[in-house]
Formats: sequence, structure tokens, C-alpha cells
Amino acid sequence: MTIQTQSIDSAQTRLVIFMTLVKREIKRFMKVIIQTVVSPFISSFLYLLVFGVSLGGSVQLNNGLPYLSFLIPGLMVMGLINNAFQNSSSSIVTSKFSGDLEDIRVAPIPHGYIIGAMGLGAVIRGTVVGLITGLVGAIFHYMQLGKALPLVHPLWTIFFFIVGGLIFSFIGTFIAFLAKTFDQLSAFSAFILLPLTYLGGVFISIQNLHPFWQQLSKFNPLFYLINGFRYSLLGESDVDLQTSVIVCLLGVMITFLMAKISLKKGSFSRW
Amino acid sequence: MKALDVQNLVKTYHDKAGGVKVEAVKSVSFSIHPGQIFGLLGPNGAGKTSLIGCTTTLEQPTSGDILVFGESVIHNPLHTKMKLGVVHQEIINTGFFDVWEILDFQSGYYGLHKNKERCDYLMHKLSLYEHRNKKLKQLSGGMKRRLMIAKALVHSPKLLLLDEPTAGVDVGLRESLWKFVQELKAEGMSILLTTHYLEEAEKLCDQVAIINKGQILFCGSPKDVISQYAQKKLTIYLKDGSRKEFNEHANLGLNEILNKQQINLSDIKDMKIEEGRLEDAFSKVVTL
Repeated sequence: MTIQTQSIDSAQTRLVIFMTLVKREIKRFMKVIIQTVVSPFISSFLYLLVFGVSLGGSVQLNNGLPYLSFLIPGLMVMGLINNAFQNSSSSIVTSKFSGDLEDIRVAPIPHGYIIGAMGLGAVIRGTVVGLITGLVGAIFHYMQLGKALPLVHPLWTIFFFIVGGLIFSFIGTFIAFLAKTFDQLSAFSAFILLPLTYLGGVFISIQNLHPFWQQLSKFNPLFYLINGFRYSLLGESDVDLQTSVIVCLLGVMITFLMAKISLKKGSFSRW
Repeated sequence: MKALDVQNLVKTYHDKAGGVKVEAVKSVSFSIHPGQIFGLLGPNGAGKTSLIGCTTTLEQPTSGDILVFGESVIHNPLHTKMKLGVVHQEIINTGFFDVWEILDFQSGYYGLHKNKERCDYLMHKLSLYEHRNKKLKQLSGGMKRRLMIAKALVHSPKLLLLDEPTAGVDVGLRESLWKFVQELKAEGMSILLTTHYLEEAEKLCDQVAIINKGQILFCGSPKDVISQYAQKKLTIYLKDGSRKEFNEHANLGLNEILNKQQINLSDIKDMKIEEGRLEDAFSKVVTL
């Protein structure tokens, strides 16, 4: 057998490398589908049942929307961002643990491809969970309110699925490459991601908050993602679409840079 | 063009907690010519894995450079990585995928989309084909080692780095792996090998470097290191029933030894000569 190597300068070679990383990501989360898709689906189902259906009737929103309609987009984004974050962070951490991140390091793979492939895998997993949540929500919506869940601006829905998934995948990549223990990873989820999600408008409209908390919420970048996504479904939200789009695009750029830095400064070595 | 050219390589680790600097590699230089098997020999902690780490970019050199077929691992890492195949010292234990998927992904990392023929060839060659649908955790230690070698070869690298590939492997498998390494050499592949099995290194390697405490103490052919540092053991049985034993410099001829020891050939009934071994030379070099 003759010794022949590919050229890394060829676009086809680079495309194969990128698509391999994406395929690996998708196959990985599909192999643990109970944990990656079924479990978030059950969580969303329970949230909808308890908060949306059982308690929702007693919640009055200032904009007059039924609480269930308000809640569904929030839960869809929550499913999206949690799963996007989990996908890239757990993929990297388990690879550090098993040692196969070293294979990726010694292969001719540019850092941007690793981040991009993690991002795409995360967007796909996050979108699957978000759509399942949306589907279950739509069934509840029809049963409870007797009408279909609206989808006013579908293209913006796709946009927010993509940017939301990318932002939280890049954050997951950033944290996972810098983390030296499992504890550091779970600390980020518990102390930063969870409070930002809950205070970003998943369950409540800021119009129902005290003016002080309303102002504070505007410093939470998740608030713009959740409200942008809510606007795409319902046609109304606590913040205008343009601001949401600008904040989200800035978020993609900043978190991508953070992920790039973490790959340069962080460790590929096994734990 | 040299397959590998290590130029004044220094690798220093900083222990942030203790503020201590550890010089794992101290201005090391050596080169490997195309088609050679080069043995990098040294005790544990000598700096072998750090050197391989710098070649693969798992580690960042503190100073110096490494050229792989003329290209710098610091300035053109993507190009050098295309030419390298790496078998890590520790077994990689990814739990998600089976043997075939692992080789398919590994091919993809090097831009090879349809590489089934090569993967099948390697699986047959390394007796993994019948285990291709098994996950890593279902494989024995020897199979995992063979899989790691198959992974390193999916893209037909020009330079193969084997970091203790036979650690923890039984004798039969070790022999078959070394035979395979010789076949790779015959195909034109250059190989850098680290191993603690010095007898095998002696048989396999065209050149060896002995490294200890981050410094190369000797670089040359196994024959050279043996002739310089090992002794041959001579046992002479005399006709009068007595026996004499000598340890002599390995490159001394029999006549020279007999003259030195003032023994007449006619007094000798029988004799036994044990040639100097790389293991003896190695022990002597690292304790110098």
C-alpha cells in the first residue's frame, strides 16, 4: 500500500474534517438519547402541566396574553439553551475524561472547526428539544385554550434557534476547555446559567416586576434571546425585535471569541 | 529532507502551586531520516513523552523547533499533523463508539471521506475485523492497543510516533506488532519509537537516542552504543579443568582478549562468548 497524504489546503479535505466532527457530535448525543432528548422532554412536559395548565389560570399578565401561550416560547428557549450548553460541554468533558480529545488535538483540525462543529451539533440537539417542547406545548395549548399555538414569524424563530444554540454551545465549549474538574462545570450551570434563565423571562414577563427588577433584567442577555424568540412565535414581547437581534448577534461573536481563547489557553489533555 | 528534525528543543513545565520550574527537555537535538526506525530510549520521566507531546502539539515547546519533513510544528502545525500518526502511551477509552466508527471518525479528522478500504485492511492486519462492531469497553487490553495503532495509520502517515506501544501487551502480540512495524518500514514509513523493551529496540531500530533527565546522552546506531558502552562476557574452560571469566569491551576481538589475558589458544578446551547487549549499554549510559 503506498503512502499518500491528503492536503490540508484543499477545501474538500477541510469540509470532510468539519462534517466528521459534526457527525460525531450528532452520533454521540443520539447514542444517549434518553439522557439528551427524552429527559428534557419529560421536564418540559411537567413544567407545562404544572405551571402552564394547573397554575397558569391564576396568573394574570399585563399584556393580556394567556399564561400558557406566554410560557411555551420561554420553555422552548430554556430547552434549547440548556441542551446546547450541555451538548458541547459534556462532549468536551467526556472526551477529556476518556482521552479522545487528544486525538482531535493531534489531528489537523483548526480550532474554529472544533468550535463550529460543536456549535452545529448543539444547535441540532437544542432545536430538537425545543421543537419537542413546542409540540407538547402546542397540544396543551389546543386542549386548554381551544386554538392553535401561533407562529407569527417562522423565519425569526429559526434565527433565534440558531443564534441561541450557538451562543450556549460556545459558552459550553469555553467553560469545558478551561474547566479542570466536573465541579467547575456544574458550578457554572448552577450559579450562572440557571439564575440567568429563570430571571430572563422564561416564566414571567418583566412588566409584572417591580421597576428596579425590570431595569436589572435588561442587563441579562438571555432576556433578549427569550423575548426575541417569544416575539417570533406570538408577535409580541417585552423588548423590540431589533434590540433582541443585535444583542443576540453580539452574543454569538463574543462567545465565539471566548471559545477560541479557551481552546488556545485551555487543555486538551486527559483528566 | 529529514523525516523529523528536533532543533534545540526545550520544554519547561511550571508548577504554579509550588512556583517550581521543571525542565523536562533540555536543548535536545536529533534527526530521523526517511524510512528509519528511530528508538528514543530512556527511563521513566526522562522526557520522551514530553518530546513526543511537542512534536504532536499536545505540548507547546518552551524554545527550539521541530521540523516534520521540513515543516515547523510551531509555524505550520496543520501541515505537520497531516504527516504524523500518533500512538499515545495511554489507551484512549471513548465509550460511545464501536471500532469501525472510531476508525471512520479518525479518517474524517484527516479529511478522508471514503476510507473503508484502508480501515478494512488495517482491521484485518491487526486482527480487529471480527471485532469491528464492538465498543471499546468490550475489547481486551491487547485489542485496544491494536486499535490505537490502526487509528494512527488510517491516513497512511509518513512519520509514525509510537509512544510505548507494547506497554502491558503479551509476548505473542508484542512480536506480531514489531513484525508489523517492520512491514511499515518496508513501505517507506519513518518511525519514532519509545519502548522499555531494549532487546526489541536493538533488533528493530536503525538509530537510537538515549535520553535521561531531559538530555540526549547518546545518539547513534544500536551497534555503536553497544560497542562503546557494553561489555562482552567471555567464559573460557581450560584443559586443566579450571575456568576463567572476563568482561571485556564489546568491540575487542578474541585474539586481543586472549593476548590481554595471556592465554594460549592451545590451552583452551572450550569457551562461551556472550555478546554485549543494548540493555547493558543503556544501563551504563544512563548512570554516567
